[in-house]
Amino acid sequence: MKNILTIFRKEFYRVISDRRLVFTAILLPGLAIYIMYSFIGSAIGGELEDITQHKMIIYTENMPTDFQNFLYAQTVNPEFHDYALADHDEVEQQILTGEVDMIIIFSSTFEQDIENQIVSDIMIYYNPGEKYSESSYHQITNIISLYSDNIGIERHGDTYYAFTLESEIIMDSEKASGQQFAMLLPMLIIMFLFSGAMSIGPDSIAGEKERGTIATLLITPVKRSEIAIGKVLSLTTISMLSATSSFIGIMFSLPKLMASGGQLDIFIYDAWDIIMLFSVLLATVLVIAGLVAVLSAYAKSIKEASMLILPFYFVSMALGISTMFSGEASTNLWVYFLPIYSSVNLIIAILTFDISVTAFFITVSTSLIYVAIFVYILTRLFQSEKIMFQK
Amino acid sequence: MNTLEVRNLKKTFKLSKKQQKIEKTNQKLKIAVNDLSFTAYPGEIFGLLGPNGAGKTTCLRAISTLIKPDKGDIFVGDSSVINDPVSVRSKIGFLTSELKLEDHFTPNYLYTYFSKLHGIEDNIIEERKDGFFKKFGINEFKEVKVGDLSTGMKQKVSIAISLVHNPDFIIFDEPTNGLDVLTARSVMDYLVELKENGKTVILSTHILSVVDKLCDRVGIIINGKMKLCDTIENVLKRDENSDLEEIFFNLVKEEKLQEGVL
Repeated sequence: MKNILTIFRKEFYRVISDRRLVFTAILLPGLAIYIMYSFIGSAIGGELEDITQHKMIIYTENMPTDFQNFLYAQTVNPEFHDYALADHDEVEQQILTGEVDMIIIFSSTFEQDIENQIVSDIMIYYNPGEKYSESSYHQITNIISLYSDNIGIERHGDTYYAFTLESEIIMDSEKASGQQFAMLLPMLIIMFLFSGAMSIGPDSIAGEKERGTIATLLITPVKRSEIAIGKVLSLTTISMLSATSSFIGIMFSLPKLMASGGQLDIFIYDAWDIIMLFSVLLATVLVIAGLVAVLSAYAKSIKEASMLILPFYFVSMALGISTMFSGEASTNLWVYFLPIYSSVNLIIAILTFDISVTAFFITVSTSLIYVAIFVYILTRLFQSEKIMFQK
Repeated sequence: MNTLEVRNLKKTFKLSKKQQKIEKTNQKLKIAVNDLSFTAYPGEIFGLLGPNGAGKTTCLRAISTLIKPDKGDIFVGDSSVINDPVSVRSKIGFLTSELKLEDHFTPNYLYTYFSKLHGIEDNIIEERKDGFFKKFGINEFKEVKVGDLSTGMKQKVSIAISLVHNPDFIIFDEPTNGLDVLTARSVMDYLVELKENGKTVILSTHILSVVDKLCDRVGIIINGKMKLCDTIENVLKRDENSDLEEIFFNLVKEEKLQEGVL
C-alpha cells in the first residue's frame, strides 16, 4: 500500500507540478467542450432565428378568406400570390431555386364542400431540398391540421375529417443529394484533415526536439525557412492522402448508410466539381498543416504538442458542425476570409452546386496567405534557440 | 585562411525560477561564457578543457550556430556566425552527444540525406560513403536501422554523417564517450588523420589523457572564462613536477578558492 501511494504521489505530482500539463490535461477538456457546445448551440439558435425571420412566399389558388384569416390569427403572415394569375412553369422553377416556398391549391368548391360536410382537398407543392420551403411546409401543414379541427368544432360542433391534404415534391434531385452531402461532409472532411495532420505533426517536429534530432538538422547549411516549408509540405501530403482515403470511403459508404433515408448518388459531381473540391481541400490542409507545425515546434514534447493542437481541433470540428444544420453556404463574403470556416462554407457551396467564383478565389488565396504566415512563424521558431532547445 | 577564431564571446542565459532554485541563486541571468577568445589553426587539434558547467558546450554550440552570441563573434575561416551562419554551417563538421540520429532510418539513408542537405552531388556522395563506411566498419550495418545499432556503431555513424561534406573545421564534443577501448581508439586515430590532412580540429573532452596524447594546444575554461590557452608543452612547463591532470585540478581549485567555494 505504501508503495502504491508513493507511486501515486509521484505520478500525481508529475502532472500537477507542470502548469502546462494542468492546463492541457485538466482545464482544457472542459473549456473545449464548452466552446464546442456553445458553437453548436449558437449555430442551431442562429438557424432557428433565420427560419423564424424568413417571410414565406406562397402561391395560392382558391384560398378561402377564412383560411387566410386563420393563418393571420396564428401570427403567420406570408406573402401571398395568386397562382391562377401566374406563369405556372415559372413558379415551379422558383420553387426549385428556393425563391418561392410553396404552392397551395384548394379545391374550387372548397367552401361549399365544407358547408355541405363533403370531404374536400388541398394540394401542396414544395421543395424539401430548400430549408425555407421545408420549414414553411411543416409550419403550414400544422396550421392546416389546426384549421381542420377548428372547422369541425366551430361549424359542426364536432371534429370530423374536413378535407384531405396531399403534397407533391418539386425538387432538383441532384441538389437534394448535394445538400445531404453538404450537411455531413464538411465536418467529416475537416476532421479527417485535422486528424491526418495531428497524427504525424507532433512527431515530425516536437518529436524531433524531444529526441534531439532537430539539432542535427539545424546545423546543416539548410535555411530555416526551407526546413519549415519542407516540414509543412510533408505534413500536407500525408494529411491529404489520409483525408483523400477517408473522403473516398465516406463518399462510397454514405449512400449505403443513408439508404433508408432516400437516394444519394455520388456520381452527381463532374470533374470540375471534384477539381474545385480538391483545390479547397489542398488549401485547407495547408492551413491545418501550418498550424499543427507551428504548435508542434512551440511544444517541448509530442505530448504537449498534441494537447496544444486539441483545442484547435475541437474548434474546427465545431465550425464543421455549425453548418450541418443549414446545409447552405454563407453568402457573406467576409466569411471566406476566415481560415477553415471559409473552407467549410466553400465545400458546402461546391457540394450544393452553389459555388461563387469570388468566394473560391478569396478562400484559396487567403489560405495561401495564412500558410505563408505560419511558415514565417515556424521559421522564426526554428531560429529561436529558446524554443528549440528549451528543457 | 582556415583558422577558427572565437573573439570576445559572451553568452548569457535567462534563468527560470526553477533554474534559480537549482543554481541556488536570486540572479535572473547566468553568464555562461564571458569574453572568451581563442584561435584554432589548420593542421592542429585544439583541446577544450573545463569542469562541468564551465561553458565549453555553450562555446561549441555558438560555433555551430545553434545559439547566437550576445557579444563578440566567431569566425570560421572568413565567415561570421552572426552575419553568415549558413556559410559557417557548410564549413564545420560538428559532433556532440546533443545531436542524435533518427532511430527509424538506416546509416545508408541518413548519410545520403545529410549529404544532399549539404548540396553534394550523387556520385561524390556514393564515393565518400563507401570510404567512410569501409573505414569505420559500417558497411555490414548500413541497412540496419539506427535504433538497432550498438552505441559504438551509432557514434561511428554520427561521425561519418558529421563529415559528409568534408569540412575544413571539425568540432567534436566528447567523441569517445560511451565507446569501448577499440572504438575509442579508432576515433582518436581518425582525429589525428584529419589533423594530418590539414583540418582545423577542436576537441572537447573530460579525458585528460586524450588531450595529452592528441592535442597540440589546449584551452582551459573555468566559469565561462579562458584561464589558460597554450601548447601542451608550455602548459606542462608551468609545473614540471605535475602532469596535465594535476595542473588542470590546481587551476580549478585556484578558481574555486577565489570564489570562496572551497
